Amino acid sequence: MLATPWICRSCVRSLKRIGFSSQFVRRASTVDSSVNLPPALLERARNLTAEYDELNAKLLNDFDPKIAKRAGEVGKIASAFRQFEKAKASLSELEGLIKSDDAEMREMAREDLADTNKELIESGRNLSVALTPKHPFADMPCVIEIVPGPGGTEGRFFADSVYKMYLSYCANQGFRAKAVQYVTAEGDGSKKGNDGEVALQEATIEVLDEGAYNHFRGEAGMHRVQRVPWTETKGRTHTSAVAVWVLPSFPENASAETEAEWENPESDFYIDASEVKAEKMRASGAGGQHVNKTESAIRLTHIPTGITVSMQDNRSQHANRTAAWKLLRSRIAQKRREEREEQARALRSSVLSQSQLTRSDKIRTYNYSQDRCTDHRPGLDMHNLPDVLRGGETLHKIITSVQTWMTEKDIQALLADEEAAAAVADSKAKKGK
Amino acid sequence: MPRLPPSLFHTAAQIHPLAPRLLPVCRSLASVRSELRWIAQHVLQSQSSHLVPPRLRLWQLVDLRATGLPLQYVLGSQPFGSLDIKCRKGVLIPRPETESWTLYLASLLSSSSSPSQGLRVLDLCTGTGCIPLLLSSSLSARNTPLSSVTGVDISPRAISLAQENLAHNLRLGTLLPSTGSKIQFLQHDVFSPDFVSTLGKEEVDVLVSNPPYISHRGFATDTARSVRNYEPKLALVPSPEKQALSSTEHPEDVFYARILHLAQQLESPNKVVLEVASLEQATRVVDMVHSSPELLREYKTIEIWRDEPAYGGGVIPHRIEGINITVSVRGEGNGRAVYLSRD
Repeated sequence: MLATPWICRSCVRSLKRIGFSSQFVRRASTVDSSVNLPPALLERARNLTAEYDELNAKLLNDFDPKIAKRAGEVGKIASAFRQFEKAKASLSELEGLIKSDDAEMREMAREDLADTNKELIESGRNLSVALTPKHPFADMPCVIEIVPGPGGTEGRFFADSVYKMYLSYCANQGFRAKAVQYVTAEGDGSKKGNDGEVALQEATIEVLDEGAYNHFRGEAGMHRVQRVPWTETKGRTHTSAVAVWVLPSFPENASAETEAEWENPESDFYIDASEVKAEKMRASGAGGQHVNKTESAIRLTHIPTGITVSMQDNRSQHANRTAAWKLLRSRIAQKRREEREEQARALRSSVLSQSQLTRSDKIRTYNYSQDRCTDHRPGLDMHNLPDVLRGGETLHKIITSVQTWMTEKDIQALLADEEAAAAVADSKAKKGK
Repeated sequence: MPRLPPSLFHTAAQIHPLAPRLLPVCRSLASVRSELRWIAQHVLQSQSSHLVPPRLRLWQLVDLRATGLPLQYVLGSQPFGSLDIKCRKGVLIPRPETESWTLYLASLLSSSSSPSQGLRVLDLCTGTGCIPLLLSSSLSARNTPLSSVTGVDISPRAISLAQENLAHNLRLGTLLPSTGSKIQFLQHDVFSPDFVSTLGKEEVDVLVSNPPYISHRGFATDTARSVRNYEPKLALVPSPEKQALSSTEHPEDVFYARILHLAQQLESPNKVVLEVASLEQATRVVDMVHSSPELLREYKTIEIWRDEPAYGGGVIPHRIEGINITVSVRGEGNGRAVYLSRD
């Protein structure tokens, strides 16, 4: 595929003369079609399949819900592995037939070979997806927070665009989204940006569908904008950034199970209430019957981490407090997970370094003058920026490709882990000798 | 009050044409913005029952609010915990501080063991009925059995509004019908000599109260203008004939003396919570408890709760100068309530 959507005729002619130089051809790709699954992964799949058979045999004798649960987890991998093995076996058989003397048979084998190859690739990918560990928060709804980065008013204006983009994307894709918080910046209230943007200070969208976290987690990071701002008189292009945070959130009616999770000190969502400082953002003074303030804003500060959350949209102090706690739990859980991942990364080889997503990485660029949106992780260029900002199909394509890319990275990380573990086991075995 | 700069009115006009009218009562742009939004939401939600078009009603309500009338009276309601409490002129508006300690008390009650036949709760000077309604709602949500909940007030207006609030929250579904049947409101004077006998009860488990606690002087100097001009003085300042009953130099404390006396007559309820104005008033109430040997014998735990008893990491001992008593203070903010417990 060409990196540019169109090329003028004279350029095409000159291209013909010099031939397609490699610099015009995009090589970045989100699809890795190799069937060569590393031995470590296959070994693991084989072990798990053996375990699955064993568990099934046990289940036949007596039913134990724990074993049944484990069997359910492993079953998917086992069936994917069987399919893969089958495809591999039939492929080797076909290769044998191709060498046969019968011309007709050779012809038939060749016809089947293409299909079987495709099947093998497919089942190989299924197997590696099945082996990839599921993100612990994958089934949860999520909260998307949009905060303008450094870059003054221009960043704030673009933050409004990003906010609208996600809201309409959710509407287009059928996600149930709800604006939890929308705070415009004080002082810039009268000014308007491109397309009537308002200077945004902070906005929070809650996507209520289960699994929304898995869908949107690739959106977390720095979103960079390059454009000529409305207020710019000399026509210079400015670059500013908007930070997007995606955090797992709880369903509206938290079930007893998740509430129990909050009380469990082992859980990511556990917060010791004595470590939280609550401030009501109201004027100091006598309080109580003496005054009658309507401000119901709540600010919670988690002292050990310094994470601060404030809520002010609802008239009810109680509702604001509930929302603030929810957000605080999500942020702390996210932070804890990031810390854990960071530790794990330090132990692993460097394969992972590109796929770690922290807030500081620039992940996407919106370039207005080139009508282009680039995601830097899969290296995907999309045109038709207005459609992206409307949350249309173009944005959906970008988000999907990021998801694919993240799955690939997860698999790579898994393989690196397996190999490292195998190496450690090997060296131990050698030492043992 | 400091003068507002004219530029602020100019900025407010750019938010909304009606915003400058709210600025003198709200005093800040953030507050103006929130109140405008809440008024607009209220207009849209209640539109079906009005004939006036929404834009005109927004105008009317903003005009009303601009006179200094509290927002809760303009909109006719105030969220209180999970409940929606109706507010009307002549009855005190529920305060967020009251909400905080009520919810904290509910969490204490549901975590400690309760009598098998269910808790008996008595609220004195109940006003809108917000405290007994919220206690019932959060206790039934935590599966703590309730046997009876009674709210008492001297004002007939308050009692009829409390009844209305009970019906209103039953209709909204924030109170369960099974809980609603256990709640009653009585019009009665806490100071009448036959109070306990007319109550028809010998014992209660939980006694709570948010009585009038502001002094005459404090009413004139410390209260906010909207409180002074629009909220009932009856609910804020003990009336002169009641203050005359007090023998101390702080006649505004007269209700606490009476309620502590009633607590003894009611066979010392398990838990007593009394809302107060400040840490000073709280220490005076603690002193009252200490000066009565019967009360001191019954109540092992005596605490002062601040505005947010659930936060701030537990209790801090606080030494009261002059009377040489050390009392535990819990939470963050101003001194807000005195808590007595038998265990």
